[in-house]
Amino acid sequence: MPTNNPLPPKENNFFKRILKCYEQKQYKNGLKFAKQILTNPKYSEHGETLAMKGLTLNCLGRKEEAYDHVRRGLRNDLRSHVCWHVYGLLQRSDRKYDEAIKAYRNALKWDKDNLQILRDLSLLQIQMRDLEGYRDTRYQLLVLRPGQRASWIGYAMSYHLLKDYDMAFSIIEEFRKTQMPKPLDYEHSELLMYQNLVLRESGLNSEAFSHLEKYEKQIVDKLAVQEIRGELYQKLGRHEESAEVYRDLIKRNPENWGHYKMHEEAAKPKSVEERLQLYMDIEKDFPRASAPKRLPLAFTTGNTFISLLDTYLRKAFHKGVPPLFVTLKSLYTDPNKVKVVEEIVLGYMESLKKVEKFDETDEGELEPPTSLVWVYYFLASHFDHQGNTTRAMEIINTALEHTPLLIELYALKAKIHKHAGDIEEAMRLMDEAQSLDTADRYINSKCAKYMLKANLITEAADMCSKFTREGVSAMDNLNEMQCMWFQTECAATHQRTGKWGESLKKCHEIDRHFTEIIEDQFDFHTYCMRKMTLRAYIGLLRLEDVLRNHPFYYKAAKIAIEIYLHLNDHPLAENETDNSLDTENLTPSELKKLRNKQRKAAKKAQQAKEKQKAEQDKKEQQSKKQQDGEMDGPKEEELIPDKLARTEEPLEQAIRFLKPLQMLAKDKIQTHIFAFEIYSRKGKHLLMLQSLKRGRRIDSDDPQLHICLLRFLQKVTKKGAIPDAVKKVLEMETLPLHQGKDVKTLNIEYISRNSSSLLHRLAGARMMYELDSSEIVQKKALEMAISLSEDLKGISIKNCIEVLEAMCRGDFGECESVAQDYQARCHSLFPLSPSFIIPASSQPDQIVANGAAS
Amino acid sequence: MAGPEDNQTEGVEVEEENKALKTKKHDSGAADLEKVTDYVEETEISAQSIGDAMKAVSDRKAKERAERQERERELAKVKINKEDVDIIVNEMEIPSAQAERKLREFKGDLVAALVELTN
Repeated sequence: MPTNNPLPPKENNFFKRILKCYEQKQYKNGLKFAKQILTNPKYSEHGETLAMKGLTLNCLGRKEEAYDHVRRGLRNDLRSHVCWHVYGLLQRSDRKYDEAIKAYRNALKWDKDNLQILRDLSLLQIQMRDLEGYRDTRYQLLVLRPGQRASWIGYAMSYHLLKDYDMAFSIIEEFRKTQMPKPLDYEHSELLMYQNLVLRESGLNSEAFSHLEKYEKQIVDKLAVQEIRGELYQKLGRHEESAEVYRDLIKRNPENWGHYKMHEEAAKPKSVEERLQLYMDIEKDFPRASAPKRLPLAFTTGNTFISLLDTYLRKAFHKGVPPLFVTLKSLYTDPNKVKVVEEIVLGYMESLKKVEKFDETDEGELEPPTSLVWVYYFLASHFDHQGNTTRAMEIINTALEHTPLLIELYALKAKIHKHAGDIEEAMRLMDEAQSLDTADRYINSKCAKYMLKANLITEAADMCSKFTREGVSAMDNLNEMQCMWFQTECAATHQRTGKWGESLKKCHEIDRHFTEIIEDQFDFHTYCMRKMTLRAYIGLLRLEDVLRNHPFYYKAAKIAIEIYLHLNDHPLAENETDNSLDTENLTPSELKKLRNKQRKAAKKAQQAKEKQKAEQDKKEQQSKKQQDGEMDGPKEEELIPDKLARTEEPLEQAIRFLKPLQMLAKDKIQTHIFAFEIYSRKGKHLLMLQSLKRGRRIDSDDPQLHICLLRFLQKVTKKGAIPDAVKKVLEMETLPLHQGKDVKTLNIEYISRNSSSLLHRLAGARMMYELDSSEIVQKKALEMAISLSEDLKGISIKNCIEVLEAMCRGDFGECESVAQDYQARCHSLFPLSPSFIIPASSQPDQIVANGAAS
Repeated sequence: MAGPEDNQTEGVEVEEENKALKTKKHDSGAADLEKVTDYVEETEISAQSIGDAMKAVSDRKAKERAERQERERELAKVKINKEDVDIIVNEMEIPSAQAERKLREFKGDLVAALVELTN
């Protein structure tokens, strides 16, 4: 052991006790023993002791002292693997994995076969996905401990992850030969399944098949065996056998749609009749199963479809199936089927009202009154989906008269109002629904969500508090539970009301959840390997690789980037509070009301805060008592809204949120538009070009992208001092974008290509005016943008708001009267949406106060 | 008095202790279980099969290493311009190591490297 400074037996004994104390989390005692050594003047600078003292201090949360001691220890004994190892552990606890890897490598220099350090290193490498490094470390571990199971599995897995399937397979095979499985040995079974997975992923289907046949008896996951067998038969072209397997699987569970799909693929029916026959055969055996009744609705047409649908619907209405509409929604891509559904169900309604039967000519018993309610419910959902608000509203009101206390009806009515744009009323109705059953968490959450959509954050938090832990503020508890639907919705609310800092705080909280989920992976690297749950482990690794692909992350990132872009363009002034935006356009009386409301809210918040603080103090005291509790991860910097909103570098922050999107949400056009907006503000021509090129691969006619493109082309033509090579790249690579035409021509061509879509017209019109702000062009552009003729695609509340917003923002210059006129026309089109109600004062209301990328 | 002997024991013990405390940290209660399985397996895996597998493994490794070194050597031979690297770093906002590698892959052709990076 090449340590510089060996301790004599007495001190060495103390040292060992430090280690033991660390292990048993008796940190204070550990420090006492360290003191025993360090107070001896001969060993006051003993490296390893200082390092261990530092590590112990770290566990007590005394970070600075910890670093100080560990560094000093390391300096005093640079040749000790203990010091380097401790340094690595410290870095790791701060999640500085790159640094930790370096430290471990140094430790290994002085003790190259230290198993523990190698294991730690391998964990960091797999966590960081340094796959080649991981493979090399696992190799060393295998050489050192070939008798250990984990050595083999880890080494094989490293090849699997590097997509070297051959090697992975043969390593497992060598290992397998040494195993003597007991009967019903789950771990051995998983090993075999993993080996089979490797074969299948390498595309060796027939090998995988014989492997499966050979070891079937040793595998305990019978369902998976059967599914794999079906899939492999299919891949090997043995369709009849495959169909046989899937019939067996359907017998096991007649509601798994996936098995039906595979069954069809294997049975290869030649006509619709044959296809239908497959399902009828199954239905005969399983008369109560719903899948064989529902699935044929997707591919049958005409009278067959009508009669199947009729049976299906009658049964469901009779039984009372609330989500019936949801299960049928996928049929709505076919307008003919929509018509049939509508006709049939309207027929039921009429006849149920008259004679309490689905059809007047029906024999037999009368239908229970609930049938009619569910028919109403279905029809209201149907018309809502079709955008026919008036009809939906009529029916849902009739339903409420019929059964006034059914929660589903209120919830649906709320939803119809929401879709019609009237979120206030929607929220009120949802609250009513909620009050009918306060113990129902679903309706409680729905109500909270609607409250957030109506910008009522405190009320929403109060609502949630019925189900959060007592004694903690609901907001904190929801964060702790990583309740992300609430937080994304909250961020959006703050964004709408111009509270940039608060909104950013929520976005960062969500980002941290994702980081935490990735961190949590750490525990599984050793656990899964030991428990042999290898298939699940590989699945986990692959999930974590694309974790930020999740819609929650996307939502948070979108809001954060929009806000950072806004803050870049309009930084907060010195004393400005960040919600001054929405007060500008209010009438004095409204302002007064608002102020009153704010004052009340502030008072309430103050009270809540005091209460919370008292609780917090109590908690802190408690936690101080049990101070030896382990610190979990590094203490994160507190997120302070005001500080977030006053960031020095909004664009860099935006890029931080953008990067994962560029990696994982490449297929969303918005990602590339954000990239363009950020880089255009940084003046990075090539990165702008990059985002345009990527965006055009998804949809070259996207309205926002069109605007970006024209602005880019204009900018590039007046480029200033840029390196020759960059100039050359720009010339070469923009050519396919403009094909030698000037921007005006491009815009005209774009408009004529996309004249039937509202949003495309808006984009074209905006650019028209931007390129030439003469009065004639303004008139022409406005005319194009405000058209609401019926044959246009995309006439919706959201899109119309966008047009109105563009006009209010000044994208078409002065156009107040046109905007008001447009607003009035939209109002008659969407009477319930408050966005189009012209306020008493003549000033057009500022609709959305966000600084979204434009 | 405390000769090399003492030194040795200390080292081993440190390792032992470290091992224990690490396992404890990650695997909580299950550390004992691992020890049990280790022991059983030690007797199960025969020396012969280890030898065979290890041989296959090392052959493969040697080949891999040779290939990688060849590729690296070739890349290292490419002459590149420091200023070109700076341009890439500045324009594309990527780390300079990454920029340098891209440039080498394109044999020092700045324009070609930049075009590739904008894709």
